[in-house]
Amino acid sequence: MSEKHGKHIAIYGKGGIGKSTTTSNISAALAEAGYKVIQIGCDPKSDSTTILRGGNDLPTVLDTLREQSKVKIEDVSAVGFGGVLCIEAGGPVPGVGCAGRGINAAVELLQELNLFEEYKPDFVLYDVLGDVVCGGFAVPIRDGIADRAFVVTSSDFMAIFAANNLFKAINKYAPSGGARLGGVIANSIQAPYAKSLIDDFAEQTGTSVIGYVPRSFTVAQSELFGQTVIEAAPKSEQADVYRNLARFIDENQDSVIPHPLNGPELKKWARTWGDRIFEVETGVVQKMESI
Amino acid sequence: MAHHIEGSRNSCALHGALQVIEAIEGVVPVIHSTAGCGVQHFLGVNRLNAGADRFGGPPVSNSNISEKHVVFGGSSRLREQLKNTVKIVEGDLYVIVTGCSTEMVGDDIPAMTKEGRDQDFQVIYANTPGFRGDVHLGYQLAVKALIEQLPSLGKGEQSPIEGLVNIWGIVPHQDPFWAGNLEEIGRLLEGIGLKPNLLFGYGQGLTAWNRVPKAALNVVVSVWGDAPALLLEERYGAQVLRLEGLPVGSAAGRFLQTVGDRLNLDVTRTENFIKSEEKRLSTYLASIADTYYRAGFQREFALIGESAQVVGISEFLAGTLGLIPRTLIITDNPPENVREALLTTLTGLVENSGTEVFFSEDLAEITDIVRSAAVELVLGSALEEPVAVELGVPFLQLSFPLSKQVVLSRGYAGYRGAATLLEDFGSAILSKGYNSHISQESQVHTASESALYGS
Repeated sequence: MSEKHGKHIAIYGKGGIGKSTTTSNISAALAEAGYKVIQIGCDPKSDSTTILRGGNDLPTVLDTLREQSKVKIEDVSAVGFGGVLCIEAGGPVPGVGCAGRGINAAVELLQELNLFEEYKPDFVLYDVLGDVVCGGFAVPIRDGIADRAFVVTSSDFMAIFAANNLFKAINKYAPSGGARLGGVIANSIQAPYAKSLIDDFAEQTGTSVIGYVPRSFTVAQSELFGQTVIEAAPKSEQADVYRNLARFIDENQDSVIPHPLNGPELKKWARTWGDRIFEVETGVVQKMESI
Repeated sequence: MAHHIEGSRNSCALHGALQVIEAIEGVVPVIHSTAGCGVQHFLGVNRLNAGADRFGGPPVSNSNISEKHVVFGGSSRLREQLKNTVKIVEGDLYVIVTGCSTEMVGDDIPAMTKEGRDQDFQVIYANTPGFRGDVHLGYQLAVKALIEQLPSLGKGEQSPIEGLVNIWGIVPHQDPFWAGNLEEIGRLLEGIGLKPNLLFGYGQGLTAWNRVPKAALNVVVSVWGDAPALLLEERYGAQVLRLEGLPVGSAAGRFLQTVGDRLNLDVTRTENFIKSEEKRLSTYLASIADTYYRAGFQREFALIGESAQVVGISEFLAGTLGLIPRTLIITDNPPENVREALLTTLTGLVENSGTEVFFSEDLAEITDIVRSAAVELVLGSALEEPVAVELGVPFLQLSFPLSKQVVLSRGYAGYRGAATLLEDFGSAILSKGYNSHISQESQVHTASESALYGS
């Protein structure tokens, strides 16, 4: 890729963890702050940008590519809240074809179409699906695409597990010019131990948590309206949470190569947390910070 | 440890499967892969031998998938290709073979096959991605698919056929003399009263393949025939007879004796047949004796080829003709347990001859071995010609790939094959000049003889 336009950021995390909601709210907050933003959904479900554009239909890049040999940016993009340019890579129906190759092909096409040169964005956010199951889903963090990756996780073990897998992928690609980790976004914070657990995981892996997003009724309500919190409830506390995340991503350029835990280490780490949570629930009193 | 391979002569599993299918009359391959897979098979295999089989070569049916089929799945493209193929190419059976990309994506080939059958197309499939293995695995996968899926098409014969013998392990085209070798083995078996089931080549179509389960004996010529023979033993209880290699010359007589023992054949008939074959070969040997001595046929040789060829040919050259096997290089990557047996057999061909046996498919390594062995005759593939020229010794192309000869029905198996081998390697020696084995000084003394015979 020739000259790079804007900051390219990939956001990963386990399926259903609130990645798309978080990404869309960050995009909205960046747009609200006056930046030119593109959000690219890299998930065959193609619902990454739904709440940015009021739930309207948007043909995906791959579907369009299948139907017509020549694709123009106008065919596959829609302007959403605050002028955010919304694009969905799309992919095959579940159980058929290769979604990984689909992501690869879609990202390649967007580059060929000179999207970034022509649109000149300040920020490009890639919202990548679930776990990094194969090479195709690691495309956004390879050399020449995103500069930084963020991972969204809750305090559920499987979400931590997926985050750890992403760390493995970053660990592999970063030395050869791929994206480095910008930080961890702790989402759906509700249980009393959630914050400490995610903090501890970040410490174990040499990373840091850049923000805590509490579980919120406002988010659920805004989504039902097909909007981001920034749009639906701009004065809410939750909107400020996302604005802070956006500001951090904008102002802070730090990034690290994480040290993922291997299988047995991760299991052992989870077990100690299992014990600690059990003790808290059953009322064992001992010194424990922030629980 | 991983190492690079230069100029490998083993193509991929898909190609091995195509070689099986194309060698059966009335069977049409349908490739489900990218366009290059079919073309590469033509360029890398068909074109190097006697040309393409009837349904092979550049016009072979291929779904030619592109990126959108990888992303969204290629099953519907295959469905379309199968329908078109059935309309355009008349065949008794269509076999879907898959390449790497469609297997990576995980297209549901059994479902497409079933769909084809529901429309009364005679169709089976074999999953043959190149990443699973080389041409030899492809042979096994395609043969297995035929054995396992043909009976479900409902045309298998029910009653056993007395004296029917299947022959396995000769990979069409990977053994350039496959057709001739099979025909000769068939002729020999017929000679002792059996019904050979050659399965590949002229006259070998679905009738032959539907008879497979009814054979009394499965003859395995190379280790690559083991899998089908074991499958048939397991399913139908048929006996298996493993040979160490291609039976060339008198080894064919021993082969027939073993078959006779196994199937309790009339000993006198078998022995009489062997005797008449031996007699004919002896006559040829006697008639070449003069040339043998004058041109110095008795040389140290290097032989490069597949395990079955190396065993059969070197056994005949060493045992019957008195040549000295100096360097034997086996290129088909036989499994470890088979390597030990091969080593024992081959190093024991001529006692104290210091025969060295190597396993390699790397052209650079093979060339180095042959170069440093300083042999007087090189028998190998077209890839060995440069090193033979460099050594200035006679050279005969007899293993895949060939470049300078058309092979249709010739072969080196059996008694007739032994005579052909004698002709071919004798001609190779003579074409280098009568005295090519003798040093410069000695040649001065034999100049008059050269003048007499022409050199």
